[in-house]
Amino acid sequence: MKLSRIAAIALRILRQFRHDPRTVALIMIVPLVVMALIGYLIGDAGKGPLPVAVVNLDAGTDMPSGHISLGATITAALGRNGQVAVEPSTSVQAATERVRSGEVAGAVILPADLTQDVLGGAPVSVDVVVMGTNPGLQGPVIGATQEAIANLAKTAGAAAAGFKAPPLSIRPAPLEGGVGLSPLDYDAPILLTFFAFFLTFLLTSVSFLRERSSGTLERLMASPASRLEVLLGYLLGFIGFAMAQALLILGYATWVLDVRIAGSIWLVLLVIAILLVGVVNLGIALSFYARNELQVVQFIPLVLIPQVFLGGLIWPVQTLWTPLRWLSQLFPLTHSTVALRAVMVGGEGFGDIAGRLLALLAFSVAMVAIGVLALRKYHA
Amino acid sequence: MSQATNGVAIEATGLVRTFGRVRALDGLDLTVRTGEILGLVGPNGAGKTTFIRSVAGLLRPTAGSITVLGRAPGRRVAAHVGYMTQSAALYEDLPVRDNLMFFARLFGLPKDEARSRTAAVLAVVELTGRGRVPVRTLSGGMRQLTNLACAMVHGPKLLLLDEPTVGIDPVLRLKLWEHFRNMNADGTTIVLTTHVMEEAERCHRVAMITAGRMIAVGAPEELLRAAGVGTIEEAYLVLRERDANGNGRAS
Repeated sequence: MKLSRIAAIALRILRQFRHDPRTVALIMIVPLVVMALIGYLIGDAGKGPLPVAVVNLDAGTDMPSGHISLGATITAALGRNGQVAVEPSTSVQAATERVRSGEVAGAVILPADLTQDVLGGAPVSVDVVVMGTNPGLQGPVIGATQEAIANLAKTAGAAAAGFKAPPLSIRPAPLEGGVGLSPLDYDAPILLTFFAFFLTFLLTSVSFLRERSSGTLERLMASPASRLEVLLGYLLGFIGFAMAQALLILGYATWVLDVRIAGSIWLVLLVIAILLVGVVNLGIALSFYARNELQVVQFIPLVLIPQVFLGGLIWPVQTLWTPLRWLSQLFPLTHSTVALRAVMVGGEGFGDIAGRLLALLAFSVAMVAIGVLALRKYHA
Repeated sequence: MSQATNGVAIEATGLVRTFGRVRALDGLDLTVRTGEILGLVGPNGAGKTTFIRSVAGLLRPTAGSITVLGRAPGRRVAAHVGYMTQSAALYEDLPVRDNLMFFARLFGLPKDEARSRTAAVLAVVELTGRGRVPVRTLSGGMRQLTNLACAMVHGPKLLLLDEPTVGIDPVLRLKLWEHFRNMNADGTTIVLTTHVMEEAERCHRVAMITAGRMIAVGAPEELLRAAGVGTIEEAYLVLRERDANGNGRAS
């Protein structure tokens, strides 16, 4: 063994890196971006409380010690809980609409005769309205409400009223889906959209890079085929392949894992198809900025990790810092996750997810335009 | 395609193409006649490939003009142009036949015609027996033959060959030239680039370029006479020297 030979090999590798600034930049930038996101999102500063609508209809009652309202006490307790941010609402209908539109993670309905019934010893149910498609949203709302009720006996007003354990219970009211589904039911849409995105992006970008490096793209561009024809050909080829993969995942999830698909399977496939139109073109466009397969692979964390962390796949988008929440709306995975959960878990229809489909369509159209521009840059 | 090209396949006038500060083509004037084999010779970096890519419509001129078969290069002309790239630009995992079928369909041939043309071209390049074999398993020479077959499968009027014989053994080189001559006899205009000077002698006319400029163009014997030497290689050196000294063109 000769040290000089080992040193020569090691030095050659370092010299190669010196001549490949893009790889070096990616190696340095990617972990920084990822660490910044993880640090931000896992740290306490990263996530804000979930907005919750509270409809306090409780009139309260007059006691010798003064007026008492358990509704107000529960509302105040919710307000002190760091996981949720109380947004008072005047009507059940308005609060329910806000839950449906995604403005709030849930709505806590405190009934009109809450205090009187509780003091009279009658059991009372507090409705917690949630969408029922995202455990990240409904879990904290139900949890915070449970905590507020459990602590009721310790509050000053309740103690004055003279009861130990209030006969109060929570009744989750999911608008769609449910609150007691298996984790796989909630997460299957995430897995489906993630795999569709990841594998299609990888396949397209590497294939197009090979097309460029092998010279066949030069041949394509010297043929009568227009740029749009080349892109559409790629699109059809890859979407056919990716849809077959999506069907396989869906079939396995349904028949083997018994995952819930409450809505139309065609709507699920439509969401994936629109997503993939954008992903194929994103892969083509980014492949122009890579010289080899290694650089393509380095793009993957840069493209995927922000979407995974900020797109609602792990933490609800509603908890993010406002600018990041806006940013998340630019990510296709944000919309495809919500849309797939709505259809698969919630059984929602085309009209319910039209906004998300439109956002995905906008992403796809933008990516097709970028793909055509990338080809134009090549053909100059 | 209109044949109103007055016997001219390619007409380049004052063609300039720059890449950043580099002037790959620096006012190139060249007329390629219909039905000829024109050899474009010059050292590496002379601008040969840039010219071929400009003719193929892959590069837009920075200045000057170029017409191919009577039109500006582009999609309308592309259907009548075959382009054989310097290195074999093929789909490695696909069988030879599928590569040819793909390019035939890409150039707009109907399925049946594409099939019959594929079979015919495979027979011409003597690869019929290899039709079902993936390209990645072929030898270098066979790849180059497949590369040529892909460029000619749609029956182009003009065939652009960028260094078609580079890295090819002498036997295969002779075979390739036999194919070029046969195609030319069938009416195909051929423009090929080479820096192998003796190969240029097989062309009807030779265009010599250096630093993106034309220094001489004419039949091989005319160029030899003009330079007063015995080989094209010597003629190139003499004519380049004269050009550098401002003595003008040989023809």
